[in-house]
Amino acid sequence: MEHFDFFLTTGFQVVFGYLLPAIGSALIFYKCGIKRRWAFVPFIREYLLGVCADKEREGRVYLGLAVAAAVMSGIADLMGQKVYAIWALLQVVCLSIRIAQLLYSVRIFTALVKVFGKSKKWVLPMVLFEGAVLIYWGLSPQYVPRKKVTDREIEAETKLLGADVQSILDGLTVNINERSVIDFFRKKVLLKDIHMCIPKGHMVLLLGGSGAGKTTYLNAVTGYEKADARITLGEDDVYFDYDKMMYDIGFVPQQDLMRGNDTVALTLSDAAMLRLPSSVSMAERKKRVAEVLEQFGLTTVKDNLVEKLSGGQRKRLSIAMEFISDPTLFILDEPDSGLDGVVARSLFEKLRSIADEGKIVVVITHTPDRVIDLFDDVIVLAKDAGRTGRLAWYGPVEKAYEFFGKNSMEEILLSINQKDEGGEGRADEFIEKYADYMRAEMG
Amino acid sequence: MKKKIRRRGRFSQTIIYLGKLFRMFLFQNDWKVLPMSAVIAGLVCFAVGGNLYKTMEGTLMGSFAISCICVWNGFFNSIQSICRERAIVKREHRSGLHISSYVLAHMIYQATLCIAQAVITISVCDAMKVKLPNEPLVTPYPILDFGITLFLITYAADMLALLISSFAKTTTAAMTIMPFMLIVQLLFSGAFFNLPEQAMPLTNLTVTKFGLTSLCAQGDYNSLPMVSIWNSAVKLKGVDVGGEKPIQEALKAIEENGSREEILMRTAEYNQNPAYAFDPDVVVGCWMALILWSIAYIIVTIIMLENIDKDKR
Repeated sequence: MEHFDFFLTTGFQVVFGYLLPAIGSALIFYKCGIKRRWAFVPFIREYLLGVCADKEREGRVYLGLAVAAAVMSGIADLMGQKVYAIWALLQVVCLSIRIAQLLYSVRIFTALVKVFGKSKKWVLPMVLFEGAVLIYWGLSPQYVPRKKVTDREIEAETKLLGADVQSILDGLTVNINERSVIDFFRKKVLLKDIHMCIPKGHMVLLLGGSGAGKTTYLNAVTGYEKADARITLGEDDVYFDYDKMMYDIGFVPQQDLMRGNDTVALTLSDAAMLRLPSSVSMAERKKRVAEVLEQFGLTTVKDNLVEKLSGGQRKRLSIAMEFISDPTLFILDEPDSGLDGVVARSLFEKLRSIADEGKIVVVITHTPDRVIDLFDDVIVLAKDAGRTGRLAWYGPVEKAYEFFGKNSMEEILLSINQKDEGGEGRADEFIEKYADYMRAEMG
Repeated sequence: MKKKIRRRGRFSQTIIYLGKLFRMFLFQNDWKVLPMSAVIAGLVCFAVGGNLYKTMEGTLMGSFAISCICVWNGFFNSIQSICRERAIVKREHRSGLHISSYVLAHMIYQATLCIAQAVITISVCDAMKVKLPNEPLVTPYPILDFGITLFLITYAADMLALLISSFAKTTTAAMTIMPFMLIVQLLFSGAFFNLPEQAMPLTNLTVTKFGLTSLCAQGDYNSLPMVSIWNSAVKLKGVDVGGEKPIQEALKAIEENGSREEILMRTAEYNQNPAYAFDPDVVVGCWMALILWSIAYIIVTIIMLENIDKDKR
């Protein structure tokens, strides 16, 4: 009788706890474009359900929680109840993890229901009778996902230029073959096939939709996140000489990252101490700080606390902190965010004057048309079919209008944005057109 | 090849950041931790200071309470110090900041705060006439031994909070983790709460265990009388057995014989704890443990912050 009870309990657990959910998941995976055999691998199944639901991060957390719960209950089983207090403590931890798992499964199922375009009423039955509901969804032809995993991870087939451009001595040469990351055992290509030369004295607009890889591109160019690439600034290889070059490249982040409870003069003075060579004397350093304060119109507020500055003043201070070391390459990530048109215009004019001093200024902005006359060139990055950032244009602003057949930068952006982002979805067309254009230019 | 230009080294960067931290002490209300430590010390002295270093029970409870205020002070000193400027540190790391210099600046700054708090706590105890150890063990001055212990408990807790602050992405996250860590420190001190035998090794993970042990040893815990049994007997003196009150009579006889103190010392003999022996090795051992924990927390903090570039935007 005892054996019978044991087999009954175990059989029940195997069928309802493993087999039915695995079969149901296999059917769902098939519809979503994932290999069905993964449904029978515990833990991976839960993660891939998250992937089907377009909630990969939640799937990962769920997987982590499931492994932690299994390890904890394994330890508790091994130890037994010899030391009841510890056993009970482990059970409490297990219970906490199970509660978190339940919450994550609700998140995943809610997203899955959305992907399948069905009512949220399905979430509760799915949590309670996962196997049965998944089998029903898997078998019924009425339940079809709006988005397949394969759609999201399609291999890029868009044409490549695949050739490096010749380095120039008086400017920045970028030859990025690929910038990829390994994310949860999978390779994700973030940028591919980007080649250009930017001469000194040029102010360049970096244009691209959300997720096109603008910041990844800037990080790769500055050597902050290295890519499979060769980046040279004049004669120097940015990657090879990164420790020396980092002071020759100024990067102004989007947010004004400064300590609010320090004065303007001390903030700039500390930045000068960090960035200027140690051979610079104190008198020279003070002179440089005073010059930069004057150049950025901050002399009158030099004794004010940073938190008391206006948005425009704070942005100028943020730029001045990088400018203090007199970098050759100056990169700004949305310097005009939060600024009104007049202040933004004046800021870009300041950047133009910096470029006119023989520097290279690269700027990301989401409102390019109000200041486009100040730029020499534009870089257009776009997501190709494989969601990889690619170069759709680099060259003079006027030629960009011609190339895209548009009259403004916003129109260009709209043309390369994906359809599900409200764009025209013509990114691949322009990427290929630009590759052909470049091939012709390079002979 | 570009000619190598020398930039500010780690030492200079540490000085720059020390300057920043001391300016923040003034401008960003970080100074508030000092009066707060005085108020907390005052409250603890008022509540449990009466029997500290006078009886075994009072010493255990008082030492535990003093360890707790040190841990509390240490936690509050630095729990938000890195996470509140995480994005700034990331930017500065990109511009050539050495994480080791940044952490060293914090270590020096926090050490200054912890010394000030130890001095404040001792001053408050003295002002409230709380008995402190009067026999030296390690240094020639008992008050210095006591102060070093307070400093090391506070500093180890401070470095643990700095570690939490280095991996917490936001101040809210840090403040959520802190109470949990505080509970662990209090529960697993290993003396004040009775733990299962199997859980005792966990006490070595806490700052409070070493602080409490050191404070008890400095007060010569094992030479103090134990009053809890006497007090229990006093509570039972009215118990009637066959029309008589034998406990009351026995207590009366002991008082008349003048052997109360002897009884209290005799009961204490059975409750002595070799871990709290009045021995310099015990105190030095505790100090070493606290220093080692502080170093371990600092190393992990540096490792955590070296990976700050991996923060998602």
